[in-house]
Amino acid sequence: MPKSSNSDSFWIRHLLRRAGFGASPDELQHYIKLGYEGSVEELLHPQSVNDDELNRKLKMQAFDFTNIDDLQRWWTYRMLSSKRPLEEKMTLFWHGHFATSDRKVKNPYAMYVQNMLFRKLCLGNFHEMLLAVSKDPAMIVWLDNQQNRKGKPNENYAREIMELFTLGIGNYTEKDIKEAARAFTGWQAPATGFFFNKGQHDYGEKTFFGETGKFNGDDIVRILVEQKATSQFLARKLCKFFVADEPDEALVQRIGQVYMDSNYSVKSMLRAIFTDEVFLSNKAYHAKIKSPAEYVIGTLKLLQINELDAGIPKAMEKMGQSLFMPPNVKGWDGGAAWIATDKMMQRFNFASKMSTERFSEVLRQSTPLQIVEKQGLNNSKQIVEYFLALMLDSDVPASTQKRLVAYVASDINGNPVDRIPDEKTLDAKLRGLTHLIMTLPTYQLS
Amino acid sequence: MTISRRDLIKNGLGALALSFGANEFFSLAAQASNLAPRKPGSSKILVVIQLSGGNDGLNTVIPYSLGSYYQARPTIGIKAEKGLRLNSELALNPAMTGVHELYKLGKVAVIQGVGYPNPNRSHFRSIEIWQTGDAEKIAETGWLGRYLDVCCTGKEDLFPAVNVDPMLPKTLFGSKVNVPSVSNIEDFRFLTDPQYKPDRDVQIKAFNDIYDSYHLKRPHMELLRKAGIDANLASDKLHQLVKKYSSDVPYPQGSFGNSLKFISQMITGGLSCPIYGASLDGFDTHTNQLRAQEGLLKQLSDGLSAFHSDLKKNGLDDDVVVMVFSEFGRRVAENGGRGTDHGTAAPVLVLGSSVRGGVYGSHPSLTDLDNGDLKYKIDFRNVYATILNRWMGADSKAVLGQRFDELGFIA
Repeated sequence: MPKSSNSDSFWIRHLLRRAGFGASPDELQHYIKLGYEGSVEELLHPQSVNDDELNRKLKMQAFDFTNIDDLQRWWTYRMLSSKRPLEEKMTLFWHGHFATSDRKVKNPYAMYVQNMLFRKLCLGNFHEMLLAVSKDPAMIVWLDNQQNRKGKPNENYAREIMELFTLGIGNYTEKDIKEAARAFTGWQAPATGFFFNKGQHDYGEKTFFGETGKFNGDDIVRILVEQKATSQFLARKLCKFFVADEPDEALVQRIGQVYMDSNYSVKSMLRAIFTDEVFLSNKAYHAKIKSPAEYVIGTLKLLQINELDAGIPKAMEKMGQSLFMPPNVKGWDGGAAWIATDKMMQRFNFASKMSTERFSEVLRQSTPLQIVEKQGLNNSKQIVEYFLALMLDSDVPASTQKRLVAYVASDINGNPVDRIPDEKTLDAKLRGLTHLIMTLPTYQLS
Repeated sequence: MTISRRDLIKNGLGALALSFGANEFFSLAAQASNLAPRKPGSSKILVVIQLSGGNDGLNTVIPYSLGSYYQARPTIGIKAEKGLRLNSELALNPAMTGVHELYKLGKVAVIQGVGYPNPNRSHFRSIEIWQTGDAEKIAETGWLGRYLDVCCTGKEDLFPAVNVDPMLPKTLFGSKVNVPSVSNIEDFRFLTDPQYKPDRDVQIKAFNDIYDSYHLKRPHMELLRKAGIDANLASDKLHQLVKKYSSDVPYPQGSFGNSLKFISQMITGGLSCPIYGASLDGFDTHTNQLRAQEGLLKQLSDGLSAFHSDLKKNGLDDDVVVMVFSEFGRRVAENGGRGTDHGTAAPVLVLGSSVRGGVYGSHPSLTDLDNGDLKYKIDFRNVYATILNRWMGADSKAVLGQRFDELGFIA
C-alpha cells in the first residue's frame, strides 16, 4: 500500500491513535515489531491476544457494577490497560452509535450488560449486532419499547432504529415507522433479560420496504440490514470515526461496498479502512479532533501514567464525553463539536493536572525530569524536540518550536538564562513544557 | 548515553536573546472590544431557551375547553380546574406558576400552533430546522448566527453572543463569528502548576505567543486556534464580571437555574452582548409523561420568574426579551405508555417587560389532523422575523432569506 514517504512506525502510531487510544512507548515497540500489516491483523483479532493481566487487575479493583461511577472507572481502566485496543475503541464506537444513557435507564448493571454485548460483538456481523441490540434490556428501556403494545404502539424504537442505527434520515417514511413499531410490539425486558410478550404482540400483517407479512422485529432487523442505505450510513459513520471528520466520499462508497460483499462483516469493513490509501495519507493524518476519551487516555499513555484515579471519567465528562451518558440518542457529534470554548479550557486544565500532579512512583513510571535524564537530553532545544516528537510527531509550526525552546531556556520569572539555575527550575520548566505541548492545536488532533 | 541531573544543570540549557517579564494574565484582553460596560437601556438583549426533546405543547398550554383534548388523552389530559387559566379556552400547566404571574402582568406572549410546512418528526432534523430557520435544505448557519454575521461584520467581538449550554447549538453558528460557550464559570479558568506560581505568567505569555502565530495546514486549525485564544480571553473577562454582581434572588437548583443566574450575572455585570443561549433537556416524554414534564416545566417557570425578578431589581428588565421554543410538540393522542410520540406544532413563549402579553393566533384544531398531528397555524419564521425586526432592529430578510409577516407581540 502507498504510505507516502513516512516510516512504518509513523503510520503505526497513526493507526494506534485511531484503532486504539494512542500507545505508550512499550506498546509502540510491540506493534513496531509486528509491522503495519501485522499490527492491523492483531488489532482485528483481539481474541488472539492474552489479556489475563488486565482481567486480574480488574478483579483486584472489585468494581461494583451497580454503581455508575465504578462502571465509568472500570471502562476507562480497560481503555488504558487492555492489550486489545481496537476492542475497546469499537465498544466506544457502538456505544456512540447505539447511544444509550444511564440518565434514563437508571440501571448501571443493565448498562454494563449492554457494554459487554458491544465488546463481544464489536467486530462481528452487523445483523447479529442489530438483533442483539434490539433485544438488549437497557435499549428497550431507553427507547421505551417496554411500552410498545399491540393496539397502542410506542414509536420511539421504530423511529430511531431507522434514523440513527441503520438507514439514516430521509430513507424511510412515517408509514414505515408505524409498521415497524407494530412489529416490535411485545419486545420487552421486565428484568435484565429479553422477554417476548406474546399477549402484547401485534400478529397482524405489516408492509415494510416492499415486503408484506406477519412481521416480527426479527424481520424488520433483517430487512433493514439488507438495505443499501444502511451500508452507506454505517460506512460513513465508521469513516468519520476512524479516518477523518470530513471523510472522503469515494472511501465511504468503497467501505459500503465491503459491507454488502462481506455479508455485513464489521471486521472486513475495518480491515478495508485501515489498509486504504486514504487512511494512510495526508487526508487522514491529524485530520480528526480527538474525542475526550482519546485526549485523556492518550495523554496517560504518552506520559506513562499507569493507574487511574476517580477523577479521570470526571475529566472526560467536563470535556463533553460522559461514558454511559451520551447527550442523546444520536450520541456524540464529534469533530468540531468537541471544541466549544469551555471544552477547550477543560482540555488545557486536564493537561495542567497531568503535568503538574506529583504522582507516586507506582502510578507513574517516569517524570519528565527522569525522561530527560534517561534520554540524555542536555539542552533546551533537544528537550523541546524530544517532547514534540514524542507527543505530536513534531507536527507544529517552526515558530512554536522556537518559542517553546525560549520558554524552557528561561528562569521561573521568564528571564532568559544560559544555565538552568537549579533542579527545581528544570522540573518547573519540564512540567510547564508538557503542559504547553498539550494545549497546542495539533495536540487536539488525532 | 545518559547524563546525571547535576551535569545537566551544570552544562546549562541553551541561551536565548528574547526577554519577557511577568505579564498581566492574558493582557490581550485589554485589546478586545466589549470592554466598555454596557449601559442600561442602550441596547436590546435576546435570550433564547431551547426545550430539548420535543416539549408537549398541549400539556404546556392546555386547551381545556375542548372535549376532544380529553378524548385524545384519557390518562394524561390535565383537568380544567388544575390548569392556570389564561382565558376562557386556555390554561398553563399547573407547574408554571411563575410564568402565570408574569402573564397576568402582561409580560408573556403565548403564540399558538407554531410550526412549519412538511413537519419532520426526527428530533435532530427538526431542531436543525428551528435552529437554522431553513425548513427546506440543511443550512450550515443558524438564524442568530446569520444575524450576528450581518450586524457584527468588521467588529472583533469576543462575545458576539454567549452560549451557556454544554453544546453550542446551531442557532449560534455563524460564518463570520465564533460564539463562545461557557457552561460552568467555576471551571472556566486556565490552571498552571500551583507549586511554581511565578512561572504562570511565563507560561501564559508563551501560550499567547504560540497561538498568535500557529498556522498549519491541517483540518480545523483556525477553529482550534480561535477556541484556545478565546477561551483564555473570555475566562478573564467573565471572571471579572461575575465578581461584580452576585444575585440574592433565589434561582431553582440545577443546571438550568444556574444557567439563567449566570446569564443574569453577565447582563447585570455590564457585558456588551446581545444574545444568550441556554437549554433545558428531557422533554422526550414517550412514557409516564405527566410527572416528568411537570418537573421540567417547573424548573423552566421558576427559573424564568427568578431571572425576571433579578433583572427587574437591577432596572434591566426592559432590555431583555426571552424566547422559549422546542423542536416539535407531540402527538395529540397519548400512546400506550401514558406518554406521547413525536408530533408537530406547539406554542412558543416570549417573555419580558417589553413584550406585549397575550395569546397570539388561533389554536390548531384537535380533530382536523394531519396523520394524528396538529396542523400548524403560524410559521416559526414569523416569530423570528418579529424578534429580528422589532426587537433586534435587524433586517429579517437578510437573515431569513425572505420576508415573513410580523406578529404583534413586540410593539
